[in-house]
Amino acid sequence: MANDDSGANHGDTPQDGYLSRHMLSTDHKTIGLNYLWLALFSVFLGMVMSLLMRIHLVWPGMHLPLLSSLGDSPDRFVALTTLHGSLMVFLVLTAAPQAGFGNYFLPLQIGAREMAFPTLNLLAFWATVASLLGLTTTFLIPSHPAITLWIVSVAIFCAASLCNALNFSVTTIDLRAQGMTLPRLPVTVWAWFINAILGMLIFSILLAACVCLLSDRLLDTHFFPVMNFVANQRAGAIANAVAVLWQRLFWFFAQAEVYVAMLPCFGLVTHLISTFSRKPVWKERLVVLALCGVGVFGFCVWGQHMFSSGMNPFSPLVFSLLASSLGLPATILLLSWFGTLWDARVQLNTAMLFALGFISLFLSGGLSGIFLARHDLAAAAVSDDFITGHFHLVMGVAATFAILGALFFWFPKLFGRRLNESLGKIHFWLTFAGVYCVFMPMHWLGLIAHSRVSSVSVLASIAAAGSAIRNFITVAILLTVFAQGLFLINFLWSVFRGEKVAECNPWRATTLEWSVTSPPADDFGATDPVVYRGAYEFSVPDVAEDFVPQHLAPEQVVKARESGE
Amino acid sequence: MPGTTATPDIEIIVEDIGGGRGGLPPPFGGGDDGDGGGDDGNRRRNWSASPKRYSTAIAIGIVAILMFFMALASAFIVLRRGSMVWVTVHLPFVVWPNTGILLASSFTLEAARRRLFLADLRGFQKFWLFTTVLGFLFVGGQLIAWRQLVAQGIYIASNQASSFFYIFTGAHAVHLLGGVCALLYVLVRKFKETTVSRSTAAEVASYYWHFMDGLWIFLLALLYLGK
Repeated sequence: MANDDSGANHGDTPQDGYLSRHMLSTDHKTIGLNYLWLALFSVFLGMVMSLLMRIHLVWPGMHLPLLSSLGDSPDRFVALTTLHGSLMVFLVLTAAPQAGFGNYFLPLQIGAREMAFPTLNLLAFWATVASLLGLTTTFLIPSHPAITLWIVSVAIFCAASLCNALNFSVTTIDLRAQGMTLPRLPVTVWAWFINAILGMLIFSILLAACVCLLSDRLLDTHFFPVMNFVANQRAGAIANAVAVLWQRLFWFFAQAEVYVAMLPCFGLVTHLISTFSRKPVWKERLVVLALCGVGVFGFCVWGQHMFSSGMNPFSPLVFSLLASSLGLPATILLLSWFGTLWDARVQLNTAMLFALGFISLFLSGGLSGIFLARHDLAAAAVSDDFITGHFHLVMGVAATFAILGALFFWFPKLFGRRLNESLGKIHFWLTFAGVYCVFMPMHWLGLIAHSRVSSVSVLASIAAAGSAIRNFITVAILLTVFAQGLFLINFLWSVFRGEKVAECNPWRATTLEWSVTSPPADDFGATDPVVYRGAYEFSVPDVAEDFVPQHLAPEQVVKARESGE
Repeated sequence: MPGTTATPDIEIIVEDIGGGRGGLPPPFGGGDDGDGGGDDGNRRRNWSASPKRYSTAIAIGIVAILMFFMALASAFIVLRRGSMVWVTVHLPFVVWPNTGILLASSFTLEAARRRLFLADLRGFQKFWLFTTVLGFLFVGGQLIAWRQLVAQGIYIASNQASSFFYIFTGAHAVHLLGGVCALLYVLVRKFKETTVSRSTAAEVASYYWHFMDGLWIFLLALLYLGK
């Protein structure tokens, strides 16, 4: 391979080309960072799309770039929605917390020097890039080939995610440093690991579904027959099952995909809260079990999305029960976060603010999820807007907050500089208020759309209220999107001009990634790190500092009494 | 410089997965962790040379591939029971001898590993080559099965049963060809200069091969019982 030699001493030698240093490097740090850049690009593209959609909803006559210039509008709007969703879910929510931060920090946190299969890692990254290109191209070509291209891109993304999941799980199982036993793993690593296993299972299913769908489109097969909807004379569950086969397979993936996006965020938030509360994670074992629980239950709730699509009348009950039982691990996580925060000397920096914002959003979004877990309610009374509000709050925005929190936290390690704190705090508060103003009214919009009244005057007033709410949402989203400009400025400015961080461990955190230089050198020491204790040893009694890093040998720990003498 | 020698190790092991391309002679073993870790030799993993990750990877990969086929199989079962337009497709006769070939290949593979265990390299290579040939024969047999169906006028789009036959056999053949590549790789690679030992490579390849074997039996049973 051409980049063999350059890979052996990445970045150190100036004669290496830009390509081999950044684009073809098998170094996990470079790849992780590339994923983050990819996610940054996608998130802003996706955000602009959502802005266009909201503007189109309230001012349909307005001429918009992208929406009006390419073909007829109804088609374009659907394409825009699809593309917004695919970009955000695949390239941002799936890629950033897992492939981005995971690639960069999982090996560092477990004391490995690389992922288990670096070339596979690079391949997965480029497959992800290809799928991003494919997805964005779909918007520019006619709808029939566009849909085929979209499916191909999603299939490629599945393959990339499978490679990633394989890499992550093997790395966690086999490459841990000496002393890094399972109970000593940071919660972030647990989350990445469980997420990799979950991703392994569900992306295979989506890949199979995509293969069948592609064969339907390209080879004229009939895996997902359309005619059964019409020609179906046999009543009953079996015939229905055929009609909704695609939905089954798709939701088997998509419902679990929510947890694939959320699991690493749970890990990140737990990590941030413990670090900035200067306290160990409250009931750490239970938190890890809860993460496993999210993985297991999340894998089993695929029927939940199909209450209204005609399934065996018995099965909604089962799925409803399973979906509700997801409340258990979620509650454990919430309790642990509050337990950690309880009576803590909280350091309210931007990273911590975003972590707290995550809890708030997760809590309020999760509460509306309880409505949706009830099959009778979800099937009968709740319209699109309610669901849109629910999952944007709990999945989209909450996960974004976790990603931003992690970015503020790890930025010194990534670039050796800090993000600007005051700009970050302004950005946080604007975004925090903004997303509540955008997505809370959406719940209300969904509920009033289904009020069962017949009086004309009442209906008229509901319609008026609805359009007022829509206007409000659009104004709120405009402001929120503009607030993201602050973040972009802060980010780009700080990468090149931010306040330099000389020390390895500016947050005084305990995990292994803080024991190496910022940004980590490719060759960090001749010896592998050795781990002596758990990941969250904060406020340990009888110790001079309020934290004890994992890699510090017991004899090196400065005792409070000794230092006092 | 021990620290810098660590990275070429990784590169070469990666080469190993990619298949048969050449590699530099790596400094095997713990040359880079001589200091600081002498206290506990077993726990102190020379991580760049840990062969365990290959068997871990193949185990996890097998689960993923299994999920892929399970999704297809569940689609098959649902459509078989509920479809209004199901037409029975009889399996072409050639799949039966073909199954025999694949089963036989698993036995020759184990025979080869037994030879390797007894340090009989010639015998190992003979049986391993035999297995590889059987693998190629199986893929050829599947092609004949396709030809037989086509001769009957049954194409992939003819009906749902035939679609499943082609998809199942096709997807399995693609995965199996990956296995054949792994077999060839173990056969032609000179293991003197790699960090991964021949027995590890053979072991990992054999796991995958047996899995492909079992998977085919499962798919065949599914197609036969659900026809």
